[in-house]
Amino acid sequence: MKRPLSQVTKIVLVALALSAFGLLRAPWEDAIRDDLVENQLLLPPPAESAIEQMSQSALMGTLGGLRTLVSTFLVLEGFDHFSLKDWEELRNTYQIVTSLEPRDENHWRDIVWHLGINATANMELDKSLPEFERKRRFQQYALEAIDFAERGIQQVPESAIIRQQLAEVYREKLKDNCKTAEVYGDLIGLPGAPEYVRRFHGYFLARCPGREQEAYDYLMALFREGPSQHLPTLIKEIQKLEELLEIPSPERIRAVPRQSPAQRRASKNTLPGGIVIP
Amino acid sequence: MNESASPLQSPARRVAAFSLSRISTIAMSTVTQLVRMKTFYFLLAFALLLFAVGNFNFASSPAQALSTLKKVSFGAMDLFAWLFAIVATALLIPRDIEDRTLYTILSKPVRRIEYLLGKLGGVLIVIAISLAVMFVICSFMIIWQQLGYIAAEYDTRDIRTEQEILASVTLIENAGFRGELIYAAYASFLKSAVVASVTILLSTFASSSLFTIIISILVFLVGHAHTMATNFWLQETDNSLVVQMVLKVVKILIPNFQLFSFSEGIVQGASVASGVLLQMSGITAAYLFVFLLISLISFGDKEF
Repeated sequence: MKRPLSQVTKIVLVALALSAFGLLRAPWEDAIRDDLVENQLLLPPPAESAIEQMSQSALMGTLGGLRTLVSTFLVLEGFDHFSLKDWEELRNTYQIVTSLEPRDENHWRDIVWHLGINATANMELDKSLPEFERKRRFQQYALEAIDFAERGIQQVPESAIIRQQLAEVYREKLKDNCKTAEVYGDLIGLPGAPEYVRRFHGYFLARCPGREQEAYDYLMALFREGPSQHLPTLIKEIQKLEELLEIPSPERIRAVPRQSPAQRRASKNTLPGGIVIP
Repeated sequence: MNESASPLQSPARRVAAFSLSRISTIAMSTVTQLVRMKTFYFLLAFALLLFAVGNFNFASSPAQALSTLKKVSFGAMDLFAWLFAIVATALLIPRDIEDRTLYTILSKPVRRIEYLLGKLGGVLIVIAISLAVMFVICSFMIIWQQLGYIAAEYDTRDIRTEQEILASVTLIENAGFRGELIYAAYASFLKSAVVASVTILLSTFASSSLFTIIISILVFLVGHAHTMATNFWLQETDNSLVVQMVLKVVKILIPNFQLFSFSEGIVQGASVASGVLLQMSGITAAYLFVFLLISLISFGDKEF
């Protein structure tokens, strides 16, 4: 009669079988892993600095394959920091979030918006801090926002929304027209970029010292595309540049601005305030 | 004396060495067993979770709201699938022993490999049904939210141009429902199948369900984290030879569960090639085959 194997013998046999299978599958798995990483189906490991900052439970979740759930939870936590205007904690939270999901452009856009627009606005208004400290932090948050945006663009080079948010920081907070024009210029042609970025590139180029002629040529090229581009702001900007660059009178534009959809609807039978005449 | 004349002593009927019908019978009884454990009640909790997340008002844009909804729903699906695979598989064999069903089954002409295959098959059927239902619920939620956001964009016609509205709608559509999301659910299924095969191997050795569950979760965590942790450990220890050897042993003995997390990439918008799916299905089949065979080393001559 066949004697059953002892428990030790079984464990040794199992270990040997597992090792043999492991040796066979390891190269296959490495090749698959490379394929998955190349196709952006597997996320790269989070940065060491992000792992150090994570709480124990977040780290366990991340290691346990719940990376997307952990990052969603951290985004909720970030919203809490935003509500409490705790900008340092918000930045630290998003350091982890962007490290966990570097390919999600929404996270990069959000932190640029929080630091570049909300935190800087808070520094403009917060009277509890001395003036010099508010100015220092305003600069700090704006620069951190730019740093996040640049890292985000490195991770998602085709992202339009990160650049749109970056342009807003340069435009609204740092009042840097040249940089604003540059970012709007980068946006042109990107998938999902709004149509207005072509015009905005020209408008801010016109305000960038020393680049007025370039702006004039660019805006004129837009104008020549046809009536769809004959918008009031574009015409006004061209006319301002014509004055500034002393363009001869025969070369100056004579155009009636195109009406916006709201203006078109509000025509004829509508009084100011949207009151319709029956 | 003519022995063959007696009906009591007639030769035993020949039994097929391997029968798919016996496996399917055990699999279906396992499904019934799991359904009676009120497994599908989880789906109600899942639907409530999605409804809650769908109504969170923290997202800065519709695209982000849809992205969050997708991540939470597919993350919850993945979590449910592997956790269920561990707990259900760990409970099945001890429960059969407790109910004495196992003795009845093994006293019949049923091979032990057929019993293991049937049990594993039953667990996988329940996981597949659950994932399919969860996928339908989550698709419905995503499409419903997506249509709502798109309608809201068109409501802004008075103040925005057609091109601006179309750009916003495109962003929403990109973040919303895609047919490829079904592969994310399939990825969770593959992961849970491997987890179940590991658990069935452990349960053939273990003396209690609790032990099997704890060790299986530990194996899952190590299998998930070892690729991620390798670089850090090597950096911390200056490429120590001992650490390198330990990592090699872990890599060889423990399945690489991180590979099966490709659902995260799909949910975030990456496209999946059919070749990748085939390879992942192939490696899952290899895991199931080998782990079931290894389970037989212990289970094949186990006395109950």
